[in-house]
Amino acid sequence: MKCIITIELGTNGIRVFAFDLNGRVIGSLKGYYPTFHTEPDHSEQDPEQIFITTLYVLKNLLNECIHPKKHKVVSICFSAAMHSVLAVDKNGNPLGNAITWSDNRAKKEALELRQSALGRSIYAATGTPIHPMSPLLKIAWIRSLDKERFKQTSKFLSIKSYIIHQLTGEYLIDHSIASATGLLNIHTISWEPDALQYAGINASRLPELAPVFAQAGKLKRAYQQSLGLGADTKILIGSSDGCLATLGDGVKGEGHATITIEDSGAVRVMGDAVLQDEQMRFFNYLLTENSYVSGGPTNNGGNIFEWFTRQFGDFTNPFDAEQSMQQLIEEASKVPVGADGLLFLPYLLGERAPIWNANARGAYFGLNIKHERKHFVRATIEGILYEIYSIGRSLAEQRNIRSLSVNGSFGTIPFCTQLIADMFNKPVRVRQQSHSVSYGAWLLSATEMGIFKTLDEAADTVELPDVYKPNKKHHAVYADYYSIFEKLSTKLFDEFEAIGNLQQKHAVPEAPPKQKIKL
Amino acid sequence: MNQFVLQHGKSPELRLFPHLLEVGAKKNGSIQLHAFPSTATEGIRIYYIIEGKFEWRLNHEAYVLYPGDVVLIMPGTSFGSDHGVLEIGSFTWVHLNIQKQENGHILPGKWSGLSEAEGAAIGKLLSLSSSPVLSHFQDAGKILKSIQTELFGHEIGYQARINHLIDELLIQITRHMTRQSHPGRDFPKTFMRLEEVLRENLAHQWTVEEMAALVGMGTTLFTERVKSYSGFSPINYLINIRISEAIKMLKRPDISVTDIALDTGFYSSQHFSTTFKKLTGYRPSEFRNNHLRNK
Repeated sequence: MKCIITIELGTNGIRVFAFDLNGRVIGSLKGYYPTFHTEPDHSEQDPEQIFITTLYVLKNLLNECIHPKKHKVVSICFSAAMHSVLAVDKNGNPLGNAITWSDNRAKKEALELRQSALGRSIYAATGTPIHPMSPLLKIAWIRSLDKERFKQTSKFLSIKSYIIHQLTGEYLIDHSIASATGLLNIHTISWEPDALQYAGINASRLPELAPVFAQAGKLKRAYQQSLGLGADTKILIGSSDGCLATLGDGVKGEGHATITIEDSGAVRVMGDAVLQDEQMRFFNYLLTENSYVSGGPTNNGGNIFEWFTRQFGDFTNPFDAEQSMQQLIEEASKVPVGADGLLFLPYLLGERAPIWNANARGAYFGLNIKHERKHFVRATIEGILYEIYSIGRSLAEQRNIRSLSVNGSFGTIPFCTQLIADMFNKPVRVRQQSHSVSYGAWLLSATEMGIFKTLDEAADTVELPDVYKPNKKHHAVYADYYSIFEKLSTKLFDEFEAIGNLQQKHAVPEAPPKQKIKL
Repeated sequence: MNQFVLQHGKSPELRLFPHLLEVGAKKNGSIQLHAFPSTATEGIRIYYIIEGKFEWRLNHEAYVLYPGDVVLIMPGTSFGSDHGVLEIGSFTWVHLNIQKQENGHILPGKWSGLSEAEGAAIGKLLSLSSSPVLSHFQDAGKILKSIQTELFGHEIGYQARINHLIDELLIQITRHMTRQSHPGRDFPKTFMRLEEVLRENLAHQWTVEEMAALVGMGTTLFTERVKSYSGFSPINYLINIRISEAIKMLKRPDISVTDIALDTGFYSSQHFSTTFKKLTGYRPSEFRNNHLRNK
C-alpha cells in the first residue's frame, strides 16, 4: 500500500504521521526537543537535536508501522513553526542555536520600527506584523548586537530549511514560512528590498524561495539506506503550521474561520486578498499564490490555564497535570456562565493580537465577597476565550465569519469548545484527533500527487462532524461581560506599562546558574 | 537534652558500628569563640538544628540555619563558622564513614540494607544537590534522636535497628531534597532541569534509577512520564542528546573521534560509531569529512 508521511517541526517537538492515500492515519509518533532560555527574552533550540530527533522519530515510525507491512512511502511532506532563524556558516554548519518564534530579544528594535513610516510600509508589503517574533527583527538584532556571528553567517535559514538541507543538501524556504519572515513581499512573492535593507542583508544570504508543492531535492544516499527509503521518495517542502492547520480544517474562501488554541493561540481566515489593517493587527501568510491565511495570534492560551493549574490545582498524583486540569474544569462547569461577574485578563505573557501590547499584564476584575475559588477557575478559562473572541471580532470587521472550527489541545476540550460556540454565537466544528496541521500536510501531498486537482477541492473533502451549537442565553451573558473585558484590555494601557516597569525595576535577580557539578 | 559526643575508636558504644565516625548532641548556652573552627570533612556529616540560629560556612559560602533545618555536608567539603564562633542554641549530628570511591561513586557500606543500585543512586543525588540545607525537616531530627536512644539503650536488636535508622535517614534526606526542588507540579520544568544535569554530565554512564531519583520519582513512574512527555524512553532520550552533542563536536576539527565518544558518554569509539551510523547512516569520520569540506 502507498502512504504519505508528514513531519511537523513544532514548538516543543516533532510529530510524524503516516497516512494512507484516503487520508486515514496509519501511524504516528512524537519526539520532544527542549527550548533553552539562557538569558531573559531569549528562546533557542538546538538545531542538531532537532535534526537527530527528526531522524530518530521518523526511523522509529518507519520501522514500527511502515516497513513491517511493506507500505511504500510516496512522499514526505514538512510543516514547521514559523519565525525561526538559524545562522549557518559557509559549510552549512550552525553558528549557535536556532532562535525561535517566542524569542523577544529584538523587542526594542521592534518597538522603534513599528512606530516608523518604514515599519508601516514594510508591514504593508510583507504582511507580517512588526514584532520581535519576526526574523526581520531577529536578523537586524544579530547584525547590531552579535557582529561576529553576523559576519560569519553565510545564510540565515529557518529550522525547516536546515533540516531539509541536512537531508537533501538544498537550501530552500517555502512560500509560507518565507511569508512569515517579515522579509517577503507577499504581493510579488519576492524578497522585499526595504526589508532586506533594514535587516542589512541581500537575498543571497537567504535560502531560495520555493512554492509549497516543490520537491526539496533528493534524500541523500546515507539516509535512504538508514531509513530504508527509495531514491524516488519525494521530499515535499510543504508549508507552515498555521497555514496547514487552516487547510487541514477545511477552510477555504471566505465565511469560515478556524481557531487554534494550544499553549498559545490564533484565529485565522483564508481568502484571496490580504487584510490590510491601519493598526497593523493582523498577519497575512501565503499558502499558494493568491491564497492568504490571515488572522491574529495570542500569547495567552492553554499555557495560562496550565499556569493556573500549577498554582491552584490539586496534585494528588505528582506531575499529573492533566488530571488536575480535568478536576478544575469540572469545578468550573458548576459555576454559572459569566462566573458571576468575575473577569480575567489573561495577559500574563504580554499580548499580541488584537492589542499588540507587550507590557499588558493579567488581572482579575469584579471580585465580590461571594466569589469562591471555583469562580476563579471559570473566570480564568473564560478570560482566555474572551481574548480569542476579541481577535475574532477584530477580524469580523473585515471578513464575514459564518462558521468556525476549533483545533489544538486546549481549544478542543469540550468545555472550552462549547464556550467558544456560545461566545461567538456560531456553530463550531472540531477535529477529533488533534492533528489538523498534519492533515493539512496530507491534503497538500495528496494534491501534489493529483488525488485532488486543487487545494480548494482538497479542503472541500474535510469533514469535521461534532457541531457544538451556540446557546443564545449564554451568548447574551458573555456579550454583556465582554463589553467590559474589551474596555479593560485597552483602558489599563498606562497602568500596564507602569506596573511592567516597576516589575522590572524591583526584580530580584535570579540566582546565578549553579556551578558545574563535578562527578 | 543531654550533651554528649561519641567517637569511633574512643567510645565503646560505637564498637559495632565502624561506619559511625561520630554521634553527638550539643547545647550551647553562651556565644563561644574558637569553638567551631572550619574543618574539611571526611565522610558525610549530617547536622540537625534543634534550637537557636547558626551561621555556618560550607565551602566558603555562608548559610543561616534555623530550628528544623538539616545540613548535609559531603566528603571533602570544608565546614565550620567564621572565627570558630559558636552561637547560642542546640543541635545534634552524625558523622558517617561514607567516602567517595575512586570512580567518584558514593556508596553506603555493607551495613546498609539498600541495594547497590539504589545506594549508588542515593549517593549520586546527594552529591548533585544544589543546596546543602534542607528546611522544615523535623523527621530527620526524630530519626537522629532514635539513633541516640538505641545507642544508649542496648535493647535487643539495637544493632540492626541503628543500621535501619541510618538507611532511613539517607532515604528521607534524598526524598526531602528532591521534593524541595521538584514539588511535583511542573513536569516540563522538572524535565528541563533533568536535561540540564544530563548535558552537564554527559560523559557519566547514567542509569534510569539515577535519572529517576534525580527528579524524585520511582523508575516505573519516571519512565512512563518521560515517555508520554518526550516520546522517548529515558535512555533513548539520553542517546538523543549524546548524538546531538557529538554532531556539534564532529563539526569542529580539533577533537578526536575517540574523545568525542567518551565525552558524550559512549563506552568506546566503536560503540559511538555503531550508534551514530545506525541513526544517521554515516560513520562519525565520514560525517566529519562531509561537513569540514568547504563547499
